[in-house]
Amino acid sequence: MKIPKFYTALFFIATVTIVLRCNKEVTYTEGLYPLQPTNVDANAGTWKPVFVASYSKYAASVPLPADTSTSAYKTELATIKNLQSVLTSDQQKAIAYWSDGGVLRWNQIFRELVARYNLPPAPLSNGTYIFPDANNPFADPQFPFSNPPYASRAYSYVSAAIYDALKAAWYYKYQYNRPSPYLVDKNVKSIMPKVDLPSYPSEEAVMSAVAQTILLALFPAAYDEIISKAGEQRSVALLSGRASSSDISAGLALGKAVAADYLARAGSDGMSTAIGTKVQWEALDDTAKAHWAKLPAPVEASDVVTWLSLEVPARPPMLPFFGNKTSVGLGVKGWMMTNANFISERPGPPPIATQREMKNQVDEVKYYSQNLTGEREAIVLKWADGAGTYTPPGHWNQIAEGYVRDAHFSEVRAARAFAFLNMAMHDAAVGCWETKYYYFNPRPTQLDADIKTGTGIPNFPSYTSGHSTFSSAAATVLSYLFPSDATYFNDQAQEASLSRLYGAIHYRVDIQAGSDHGKRIGTYTVNFAKTDGAD
Amino acid sequence: MMLFSWGWLQAQTPLITDGLMVPKRDLGNGLFYSNDSWKNYWEGTLKRDNRNIGTLSTQRVTWMGVYGLTQKITLIATLPYIWTKASGGTLEGMRGLQDVSLSAKYNFFTKDWTQNRIRLFALGTYAIPASDYTADFLPLSIGMGCKSFSGRLTTTYSYKKAWHFTVSGAYTWRGNIYLDRPSYYTNGQMYFSNEVQMYNQFDFILRAGYHQPNWRGELFYTQQNTLGGGDIRRQDMPFASNQMNYSKLGASFLYAIPQIKNLAARLWGSYTIAGRNVGQSTSITAGLMYTFHFANNQ
Repeated sequence: MKIPKFYTALFFIATVTIVLRCNKEVTYTEGLYPLQPTNVDANAGTWKPVFVASYSKYAASVPLPADTSTSAYKTELATIKNLQSVLTSDQQKAIAYWSDGGVLRWNQIFRELVARYNLPPAPLSNGTYIFPDANNPFADPQFPFSNPPYASRAYSYVSAAIYDALKAAWYYKYQYNRPSPYLVDKNVKSIMPKVDLPSYPSEEAVMSAVAQTILLALFPAAYDEIISKAGEQRSVALLSGRASSSDISAGLALGKAVAADYLARAGSDGMSTAIGTKVQWEALDDTAKAHWAKLPAPVEASDVVTWLSLEVPARPPMLPFFGNKTSVGLGVKGWMMTNANFISERPGPPPIATQREMKNQVDEVKYYSQNLTGEREAIVLKWADGAGTYTPPGHWNQIAEGYVRDAHFSEVRAARAFAFLNMAMHDAAVGCWETKYYYFNPRPTQLDADIKTGTGIPNFPSYTSGHSTFSSAAATVLSYLFPSDATYFNDQAQEASLSRLYGAIHYRVDIQAGSDHGKRIGTYTVNFAKTDGAD
Repeated sequence: MMLFSWGWLQAQTPLITDGLMVPKRDLGNGLFYSNDSWKNYWEGTLKRDNRNIGTLSTQRVTWMGVYGLTQKITLIATLPYIWTKASGGTLEGMRGLQDVSLSAKYNFFTKDWTQNRIRLFALGTYAIPASDYTADFLPLSIGMGCKSFSGRLTTTYSYKKAWHFTVSGAYTWRGNIYLDRPSYYTNGQMYFSNEVQMYNQFDFILRAGYHQPNWRGELFYTQQNTLGGGDIRRQDMPFASNQMNYSKLGASFLYAIPQIKNLAARLWGSYTIAGRNVGQSTSITAGLMYTFHFANNQ
């Protein structure tokens, strides 16, 4: 009997120990901390707009504010004091959340929205697909399908509009120089980090209005969440003592006015024709063969192997006219590049599918397919960024986040970083999609059905690699913004590129041409950034 | 999709959930081969197929060791090697050693009267991945990649030593896992972290069997619920922390091979009758177990 008792005790102790070790609550790390900018960038109202015509054109949204000695303003202060005396714990949490920086927070929110909506339509039982419908966003399939081109465009619109709107806000802030409520009245508490910035119009209200207006157009089914986040940011500006209700109203009006100009552009930027029609998809094959025939070293149609969907049932290609620059009226506009720029920067052709050089490319992919080591697999999974994720452009926003945070940028300079990063990646999406459908080159598995893949095969042509183009454009912009870490960004871009070869879904030529292309595309944005007055 | 969670493997494994013990100083070694396959799966609660997966088959060779530490304590260890394959689509199958587990089973109560007997057992199992396989490539991953500890209570009623009725239930604590990527979206939320909470699980099994000296037959019903986690979204891939639930019906058979002393053959199979975020799998396992009687040799 003694022995079982001993074992019982041992068993009990082991159980408790193991359970305590196993039952670990997940730590959800947001990775941000309260923003205390090292420089408020008081001259940001003089930095060049990236899209809007001028900041002065919004004067009607930001009229001369009441003086802080007026009774109207004192009523506003009294409201803040009343609210601050009964702060709920939810309100305190909201203040802590937005204290980490509105630009960084909105960046997280739109990455989350992209991940939520980045799911392709499921096939119908008859083997066809229906497309998401903007007028019926809650249906199955949900709207949108925020795939990489859609996402890169979305990230660029929100980021660029927030950037232009914040510069406009700075322009008026230093025109009117109205202090924050907590500076006017010492009984108003300052609950957010103190930033030495005029409060009219409120930068929080500007950001919230821009983000709300543009995100609602891009992700209409997320209406409640977007409205709630934007409203929360405005109420935090008030509750924290940073802005009065008139600061907030002016910010809201300014943000909406800037966003309206951006939405007008979005309505006519070519996105509506990016999907195309069945007749147009069927013509892609002949169009590509015509392109090959017109090359400096012409290739006969019989030597051109064109792309086929490898999904079952075959799925229409992803946004085939997103980058189109060769037919009139099709294709999405770039930010820093003209249509002529896109055509002149297009990479030359990949090797011809029927020739030895391409056979070598296929053999190399096959080698990686059959030799997926643990180390390479981890790289494939790290950079997969496929369906259900925030896409490769989202991944680069995540990388940028840490650098922007640690640089203690002002809101307007943080907005600049994300605007340039995302405008460059949008141009990368346009340029890469232009190239993909220009040559319409098959995936490795189409040329050799024995090639199994370590990640899903994206449903669009192989040449050039989107991951390589996005990553290299992003690394180029980030290297300009954070030069001391250029080596790291370029290494990460290289790793992202190679992940597609390791996963056996791209040839080496796809990733080399994509990387070079992305770098050239990113340079257009960097050249603009160098002259915008912020350096 | 969680075809090979530790719980699934164990719930049908001999000795883990039944009312049997190994005599003191007996050492058993078993080798089992399993084949599990499904064509349909539940995407959340929606049952569907996926031609880019086709039929997902998982094969497994499991070594099992059992040892009678005392008359009342039996130790059980398992280690499976697993390989997966999708008949459709282009995704590469995966292979490797999955999780090694060690269990201690304690018969803490026995009551006999006339032809009846009731026995109660407590069992603890610790399992840990035996290789660095990834759980982030479902449904082709070979496992969930988490450490786990399971506490199980089992009660058996037997009549005339021939009829056996067993109820067994377990609660499994699961450790978090770490992905190779810096963020993921699941259960309606973005996580800017590579750490994934693996929710705990509860399972139970009901068994009814008839035992003769050289053979035993049994029918069983088993159910597992994951106590948290999100559904697979529409047309998304499964994710490690999905709420994976199932109910299965099965049968098992043991035959002591008369020509070879101490060698027993086992065969068992099951069919998934309901599920959530799992494949509707049919599974069959066959194997041999050889026992050394050290106590008798002395």
